[in-house]
Amino acid sequence: MNAAKENLWKAFRGLVVFWIIGLAIGETLMAWGIGNWPILGSIQAHITADATTYLLWQAVAIYVLVGGAVVYSAFRFRASSMSDTAAPAYQARTWAPFVVTWLVLAIGINLANTIYPGMVGLEQLWGIQLDTKNPLVIDVTAQQWKWTFSYPKQGVTDVSQLVVPEGRTIDFVLRTKDVMHDFWVPAWGEKKDVIPNEVRHLFITPTMLGTTATNPMLRVQCSLICGNGHPLMRAPVKVVTPADFKAWVANNSF
Amino acid sequence: MATNEIQENALNNMGVDKTPFAASMLFPLFRATLWGLTGYFAAAWITALLFHTVIVNPLPATVGYVVGLICWLMGSGVWEGWIRRAFGGKEAPTYTGIERYFRFGPDSKSTAVRYVVLNIVTFFLAGMAAMAIRIELLTPDSTSWWLSEIQYNQTFGIHGLMMLLGVVASAIVGGVGYYLIPLMLGTRNVVFPKLLGLSWWLLPPATFAVFMSPTIGGFQTGWWGYPPLAQNSGSGIVWYVLGAATILFASLLGAINIAGTMVYMRAKGMSLGRVPIFVWGLFAAATILVVESPATYTGALMDLSDMIAGSHFYTGPTGHPLAYLDQFWFLFHPEVYVFILPAFAIWLEILPAAAKRPLFARGWAIAGLVGVSMLGAMLGVHHYFTAVSDARMPIFMTITETVSIPTGFIYLSAIGTIWGGRLRINAAVLLVLMAMMNFLIGGLTGIFNADVPADLQLHNTYWVIAHFHYTMLGGVIFSWIAALYWWFPKVTGRKINEFWGKFHAWWFFVFFNCTFFPMFIAGIEGMNRRIAIYLPYLHDINLFMSISSFFLGAGFLIPLANLLYSWRYGPKAEANPWGSNGLEWQIKSPTPYVPYPAGTEPEVVGPNDNYAAEAKEPVIWVPTPSK
Repeated sequence: MNAAKENLWKAFRGLVVFWIIGLAIGETLMAWGIGNWPILGSIQAHITADATTYLLWQAVAIYVLVGGAVVYSAFRFRASSMSDTAAPAYQARTWAPFVVTWLVLAIGINLANTIYPGMVGLEQLWGIQLDTKNPLVIDVTAQQWKWTFSYPKQGVTDVSQLVVPEGRTIDFVLRTKDVMHDFWVPAWGEKKDVIPNEVRHLFITPTMLGTTATNPMLRVQCSLICGNGHPLMRAPVKVVTPADFKAWVANNSF
Repeated sequence: MATNEIQENALNNMGVDKTPFAASMLFPLFRATLWGLTGYFAAAWITALLFHTVIVNPLPATVGYVVGLICWLMGSGVWEGWIRRAFGGKEAPTYTGIERYFRFGPDSKSTAVRYVVLNIVTFFLAGMAAMAIRIELLTPDSTSWWLSEIQYNQTFGIHGLMMLLGVVASAIVGGVGYYLIPLMLGTRNVVFPKLLGLSWWLLPPATFAVFMSPTIGGFQTGWWGYPPLAQNSGSGIVWYVLGAATILFASLLGAINIAGTMVYMRAKGMSLGRVPIFVWGLFAAATILVVESPATYTGALMDLSDMIAGSHFYTGPTGHPLAYLDQFWFLFHPEVYVFILPAFAIWLEILPAAAKRPLFARGWAIAGLVGVSMLGAMLGVHHYFTAVSDARMPIFMTITETVSIPTGFIYLSAIGTIWGGRLRINAAVLLVLMAMMNFLIGGLTGIFNADVPADLQLHNTYWVIAHFHYTMLGGVIFSWIAALYWWFPKVTGRKINEFWGKFHAWWFFVFFNCTFFPMFIAGIEGMNRRIAIYLPYLHDINLFMSISSFFLGAGFLIPLANLLYSWRYGPKAEANPWGSNGLEWQIKSPTPYVPYPAGTEPEVVGPNDNYAAEAKEPVIWVPTPSK
């Protein structure tokens, strides 16, 4: 038994080396991937992307630790062939230090994830919504298969292009005329379903100038299946400076 | 032991019918088809006549389906095997030979074999739908020479529903589970054998109807069937609803059998602590179906009622579509645990025998299986965080993330079992290891969708497509094929070809990852799901995924050929080819119609995973005690 135990500690040292190499490779690849992240065009997009990238770092680490243990032990403890039926000396049914470590880590990571990025991200998103004194209200009407935008306080109605100023929080008021849709601008990092017989709000603070033509992530896209026109239920987006926005409103209001 | 009439009958019939296959044995199949189609058209036409409409309209399609389903069941043998006797008539004889495979009957083994055949056929057809989807996505524009947008939407709806309810829902539970559960528990049959037989015969009309739904207008909603789109985008949704409800009802019949058999039919000495881990996995899945499936198929039928009976549960100015989402996901989130828990249990059943080690931390593994099934009941809302009020987000985020704790116990147990063992890697074990690696990615990426801030961006993108294919295809289907290989000698008495088994395992693993891993990236890059037309900046990555998927799809011909060829010409296997201590391997292979002769019962005297050199046999054979 003693000999078998020593052997297992030696195997564990090999696993640690395997883990270190795996973590180095995995997290380097992840750093490269996150370095090539698509554009983040609003404060909300930064919050949701923070959550995603944090969880990516963590997922790579857990994948290497757990998956590495599977691969390593399957390789290290393999028999030479199917006909090699001798049983190993090590027949323990459980080993408390391993089980307890696993349990503590699993519960700990879960609690931590619920707090960050889960609740922290939600509180940040809700905080923007609550702190906004004077949001720009835009009525969004979804129907099969087009988007219509109205700016009630500016007197601009029924335009098919979404023009918004940079740096001001917008209150999108979402309604649908027929079936369920989903209002999503990929670059703004959040989406909201539009539900019949209900009114929904989505708060976005654009931080980056641009148009759909310069970056396709900056587009309104229906993100909930709504029939055969669903893929083309898009609308162009234009984020402009506050001065340009004023000029646009003056040209388009009645 | 319970001695219902079926088992008495079986015991008296030890002289098993050895008649070779003859075409006349297919008679019940032909009769069921003829009666079913006649019933469908007669009922649909009469209804259309009465309501001055045409048969492709929702109401005639519904009535036709219900009548056709009942006629099909009668034709399959339910009439003389069950109904006729219930009204005082003569009961059909017990079929013990080959003909039992082609008719309704109480034998769980032939029912399980029919499940495997149905799952393979459905997997092939729904897989073809997947190929059609990937051909459409080869180019970003509307590929009009191939599929219109309407046809594309019908295709992915059928692909999704059939892969879920026609394949993974019954692949491991049905084909593997219903075969093994009596043998593993040391009984001759399940507790309600006729209900189990009925559960299979409900499936062919249901899957046929879903595949044929384009003939009455198809459905545009994908496999969700969300109102009010469901009610205004084609009558095919009628067959979607009825097909889904029928299959869920069938799996409920199976679930009652699993739970009942585990509770009431265990052999002497088979305490709960000795129940094989695979049966625990089936039991955990069964509890989910018993508790949650009625709410969901009721919701689906209410959806149908809005369409044919003029009700307004979910539609119209007073309808509440979110209520449908609540009902739909009440089962359909836990349903994925119905798919994966038996797969987990397959890993933990195979690994101890392969590594010659006891199942590590067995109590924790069972806690993991049951814990997932219990937590699973409470978290369907995470499928529509973008639709619910803020108040519902934190609680469902927290519960959803908690599921990873019991899920982790499965990995704890599997790693602990391999560690220090002597793992013999054949094709089945290789597939199990690959399933563990795939599901790990599927599980870890699920945390992103549980975490509300990340999900608000990733919801309904290709990220989600990648995530659930890693769990369903990468987890369940890998494990299903592993189980088919591992227990193949039990069913046929022959072994599969190991070289082609391992060759396909690697083929499958490589092209599976090439197909689905880029979908995570496509999702982050802003590709939303269920679109036939996408923006050109996503072209390269889609091209890569499509070409990989063609290799992935073509590769499935290898295990199909392997299973078919080995069934007839494979090397003969001894009764216990893997040296497993499992009770199912202690009897003859292939399993006789009656697994052990009259007057003999197994008695379990030890754990089934003790592989130490001096270990005693876990089971002894004792005479059946007199009543």
